[in-house]
Parts: sequence; structure tokens; C-alpha cells
Amino acid sequence: MKFRAERGEFVDAVSWALRSVGARATLPTLSGVRLEVRGDRLVLSSTDLELSSELSLPVQGERDGIALVPGRLLGDVVRTLPNAAVSADADTDRLRLHCGRAQFDLRLMSAEDFPRLPEPSADAAVAVLKAEEFARTVAQVARAASGDDARPVLTGVTLEATAGTLTAAATDSYRLAMRTVPWDQGAECTALVPRRALEEARRSAELLGSEVRLVFEPAQVTFAFGDRRLTSRLIEGTFPNFRQLLPPGFERRLDVDRGELLEVVRRVAVVGEVNTAATPVTLHLTADAVRVTAGSGEVGQAEESLPGALEGEPLQIAFNPRYLTDGLDAAGSERVVLEFRNELQPAVLRPAVASNAPGDAAPAADFLYLLMPVRV
Amino acid sequence: MSPPRPPEPILHVDMDAFYASVAAREDSSLAGRPIAVGNGGRGVVASASYEARAYGVRSAMPMARALRLCPALLVVRPDFALYARVSEQLREIFLSVTPLVEPLSLDEAFLDVAGSVRLFGDPPAIAAMLRRRITAELALTASVGVAPNKFLAKLCSGKAKPDGVLHLRASDVGAFLAPLGVRDLWGVGEQTAAKLDRFGIRRVADVAATPAATLRRIVGPAAAEQLARLAVGADDRSVVPYEAAKGMSGEETFERDVDDEDVLRRELLRLAEKVARRLRRGDVAARTVTLKLRYANFATVTRARTLPAPTDRATDLHREAVALLAALRLERVRVRLIGLGATNLVPAGAARQLGLLDDDRWGLLERAADTARGRFGDAAVTRGALLDD
Repeated sequence: MKFRAERGEFVDAVSWALRSVGARATLPTLSGVRLEVRGDRLVLSSTDLELSSELSLPVQGERDGIALVPGRLLGDVVRTLPNAAVSADADTDRLRLHCGRAQFDLRLMSAEDFPRLPEPSADAAVAVLKAEEFARTVAQVARAASGDDARPVLTGVTLEATAGTLTAAATDSYRLAMRTVPWDQGAECTALVPRRALEEARRSAELLGSEVRLVFEPAQVTFAFGDRRLTSRLIEGTFPNFRQLLPPGFERRLDVDRGELLEVVRRVAVVGEVNTAATPVTLHLTADAVRVTAGSGEVGQAEESLPGALEGEPLQIAFNPRYLTDGLDAAGSERVVLEFRNELQPAVLRPAVASNAPGDAAPAADFLYLLMPVRV
Repeated sequence: MSPPRPPEPILHVDMDAFYASVAAREDSSLAGRPIAVGNGGRGVVASASYEARAYGVRSAMPMARALRLCPALLVVRPDFALYARVSEQLREIFLSVTPLVEPLSLDEAFLDVAGSVRLFGDPPAIAAMLRRRITAELALTASVGVAPNKFLAKLCSGKAKPDGVLHLRASDVGAFLAPLGVRDLWGVGEQTAAKLDRFGIRRVADVAATPAATLRRIVGPAAAEQLARLAVGADDRSVVPYEAAKGMSGEETFERDVDDEDVLRRELLRLAEKVARRLRRGDVAARTVTLKLRYANFATVTRARTLPAPTDRATDLHREAVALLAALRLERVRVRLIGLGATNLVPAGAARQLGLLDDDRWGLLERAADTARGRFGDAAVTRGALLDD
């Protein structure tokens, strides 16, 4: 295998491929990045068996062939390369890299044991989304997924495609985030995607822009960005029927400035943070103000008020401050609408659709964050 | 005005071969002979007399191995009720000197004697008096470390053994620590020692000379900070007279080693039931679940996970413990002992995060089962999964 490549492109390609290199791989071969030259294209691939990545870039190919290079080492090497064209030449057990006057001679790993990467089949359901919209959806939803391997289905984000819409939802059983975006393709399918894979796909979407092609298959999902693609294994099991969790109505509705509430909750919550059991913050809702309090007898207390328009009876309700700030952060809008039944039932947080008069805002339909209160 | 705090106010008193010495005291025919306290067969050595230690017998060693090392070894069954009585007498002696007594186990304790110097003399004099009284009143011997803090005091009592006292002056701490091996640092076990060894760090002086950033890379940020502090003899933990319950746990040593994960999972369910019942009885809930396994080769691993919300339900404890077990990917490794712990306790009445998905039916069920067991005995209610054995 022999090729010449432009330095910047090669460095980008290697660092992108490193994302799915197995960190503590049980199979040593997974710690490698596979390089393959075919004509004038170089294909880089890596996998940790859960997530695989593959990208192809144009090079000046001189001899076809395959080489499996220790991933971490290759990454460290290319990051330090001087600004000049890179030429690579591999025989059966060594890769020689030349760049400017620098020269590296790297031991190769056996490429034979490297697993065949899954390829999306041609007849699978495909959805195309704007990269920006995809990244935003993942950023809003994935944070609600659980980090607890004891309930694997909750560590994923469920993607549900129906005619005309794609819905992403995640829950760790204390809060649920859900976003619906329109799409044109008509395929109907669902996929439960590991959070990590989606976060990697989001990072790629942010980096590369343009659009993302989502390819749904029974056991895997592929995110394709032009010459690059990430394929993730799906989580087995049934995601909870989250639509059933949405309360049928509400008794109280609060319209409040999002940034202001976020700032107040973060500030007030500080007094609870010394306690590992996450002291809740309490919202005291009255007709035209929200008073936020936190604290305990042992540590101290804090409180701060901000304006907010409440429809319905006054209410006192407590939340884990992290879950509340996560939701406020995800909503992203200028104002938010919070709907409550009582202090023991889930609250629904939605971005408010822009409106001229505060207190008259209608909730947006495309993003929803459901959160359970803390019983005090 | 109280006198200034002496520079070395902390004592660590550690009884010499406690169980074995008590056994020898009770039965004079055992005195001066190699004794190991423990159960025969699959048991381990709980305590060995110094005569037995001369043969290489150590506590926590399998009894079978101890008998191979020392065929003349006399195996004595432990009498925990007796040890507890002696321990209580010992505590009385300590408390007559200072209220600041922190027992570590039946046979060792930390004492802060800063407030006692006017009545009883300086800390070394108090150490000598304690040793005299222990010999006179209990017919046992103890070793005592006198040092500026707990870490150093414990190190000193270890170096003073048997039947000795070591007083480490604050001004001598550097010279005392420098030549010691890293294993003498509190919290450094075999694995950490091996990691340090790879970087040529073998003595405490090497640790002290290693830049903080390097140490962090080798052992991780939390351990590095502790190591760096201990290596210069710094330890600001105070003597806590009463140790409140830190957690509840249960463990089971199998009659025969087990390599079947179904059996392990079922045993975890039984332990989860037991631990959850104790949590509920104590009106507390736990945020951290710990799984402990000892393999047939005696290697022991523990894995823990902290939950976002505390629980007192066996269902939750079991689910977490099973996930920790699965993450170990045992693949038919033979297991000798399995344990489940619940720590990081909070009062059950404290604020409680409600869940979206569970309607607390398990919680109600488990409480109902507690009530039934209270009325009809422990066998009244059990899980279907636990019935067939």
C-alpha cells in the first residue's frame, strides 16, 4: 500500500476515525485503524463493535493495499506532522510515513483479524435531515438518557419515523425529552440508538454541516455524511411507551423567561450542592411571580424571585435542580411554558412560541420535556 | 486555660494477635504454642499467634494452607462473644483516659489524648500507662503508636509490634517515612503498588519526590492527592468517637465454588432482600450499591455504582448488583463468596425524587412482605425465584 495525501485532510481523517477505536478493547485488533488504498481513494475504518466509522478521501494512490495501524499511536503521530504533503508506504509489517523531513516507521498489526465492518444495505429505509437540525435534536434529547447500565433500554435514544415526522425521545425514568422534526420520506421504522453513538453523530454533523442520511435497519443504524459514515448497533429491548406518560391535561400553566429562570435556579441550587443527595429546589408559584428556594438546616438557604405569569391556583413544587436546568437549557427559546397538575405529578416544559404579550404565549409543539418532581 | 495541644496527640492501640492471645489466656495449655483461630476446612485464619507467624501463618490465609505451612498448628474455634466482652473491657480502659476513642474493630482503636496530658502526663506516658493497665487487667499485650496524626500512629503501632511502643516526633516524620515502602501508605494495595513500581516509585521518598502531575497520571487524580499528602505524613482526619452506621451489607460464602451466573444472580436477590429489609427497618435509603466477589483463587473485587435517587427496595438493589455482575463478564469464573452492600445512606423521610416509570408497586409489595414477616416469621414471604432451593 502506498499513497500521498494532503496533510490537513489526512490529519482530519485520522482523528475522525479514532472516535470509534476501542478504548479498552477485549480484542487487541480493535485498537487499530484500518487503512486501505483502492485506486485514488484511501478508506479509513475503525470499530469498537458497538460503533464503527468509515471514511474515504481522495489521495494520490500509488499501490493498492491494506494496513492496520495502532490507532492511538497513529493519532499522536499525525497530530505532530509538519505542514507538508504526507506520503505513506506500507509493506507487510511496517508503515513508513514521510512528511517534510520527518520520517516515522510504525509497526503494523495483523489486518486479518480486523472484523468486517457492517455496511448499510441498499434497500433500507433512509431519512435525510439537515445536519444543523439533526445536531440540535440530539443535543436537546440525548441529555435525558440514563447512564445506568442496569436498565439498558434507558441508556438509548429512541428514533421513531412515521410518515412525515421523525421523533427522538430519551428518558432516565426521572425526566423525558422528546423532539419531533418533519421529514419528507415516508418510511415507518423505529430504532433504539445508544446515546454515545448519537452524540458522536451529532459531533460529526456539527463538524461537517450539510446533511445527514439516516439509514435504518433492524439491528443497526447508519449516519452518513458525504464520504463518511458512522454505524451503530441498536440496543435490544422495548423502550417505554413514552407517549402514554404525557399527562392528558394541566391545571396550572406558567409562562416565564427561560434564561432568567435558568440563572435563578442555578444560583439558588448552589446551597444544595454540598449535599451529595442533591437537595431539591422548590418553586413557589403565585399569579405573577416565581420564588425559587433551596437549602437545608445544616448548610444554609437561598432564595430569589423572578416575574412569571401563572394561570391557575398557586403551587409549591420541588425538583432536582439538574433535571430542571437540563430541560430549561434544552428548550433554547426566549420564554418557556411549564404546565403542572399538582406537586406530585409530572410537569411539562415547552419552549414558548414567540408572542407579543408575555402571559399570552402558546407552547411550541416540536419539543417537550417532562420532569418528575421531588416529594418533600 | 488549657495547655497547648501536644505535637503528637494521637495514639493507635492495637492488641497483639488478639483472638489467639485471648484463646491462649483462656487455656493455659495453648500458651507459647502455634495457634490459629478460625474454622477448619474451608475457613480462613482469623488470627495467628506469634509462634504460628514464625512459620509464615498469616491472618486471612486459608486454613488449609496454614496447616501445610505449620503441621503442628493448633486450630481454635473463634469465640466472638468472649472477644466482644474483652473488647468492652478494653474500651473502658481507653475511655478512662479520653472520651475521644474511635474503635476500628474489636481489638484496635485511635485515641486523641490532647486533652488528657494535664491529668495523665504526655502522650508517650499515657501510652505506657495504657500498656501497663492492659497487661495487668486483661493479661494481654498491646502495641501502641504515638504520632501527630492517625495515619502515622497506625503505622507506628505496626512497626512497634509485638508488645512495643513507638513514639514518632513531628520533627522526625520525614526521616521516618522516607525509607518505607509505598505499601505502608494508607490505601496503597497490591495494584497501586504495582502501578507505582512501573515508574520506579518504590519508597515513600520516591512518592514525595514525584511531581503531582505525574502522580495523577499514574494513579488518577483522587488517589494522587491522597498519596502526595500521606507521603509527607499529612493526614487531617480527626478521631471520631462514635462511628455511625455507614451502610448495610450481606455476603455469602458458598459451600462449593459457583460458576453459574444464574445461581449468583439468585443469591444476589436473596442478599438484596436481606439488605433492603435492614434499610427499611433502619428508616434509611441508600444511594450506592456495592457488589463484592471473591474468586476461588481468593482474589477479591468490588464494584460500586451510585444511583441518582436513594432506594430501600430489594428490586433496585438487585437490578444494580446484577448489572455490576454482568459488567465483570465472568464467563464461568469460579466464585467463592458474593456480597451486596448498600452505603451512602440518607434518612428515608428525606426528599425523594419521584419516577416516571415505576408506580412504586414493588415498594408497596416489599413493605407488605416486611409486615407479614414481622408477624409470621422470615419464611412467611419469599420470592418465587428463591423457592426452588
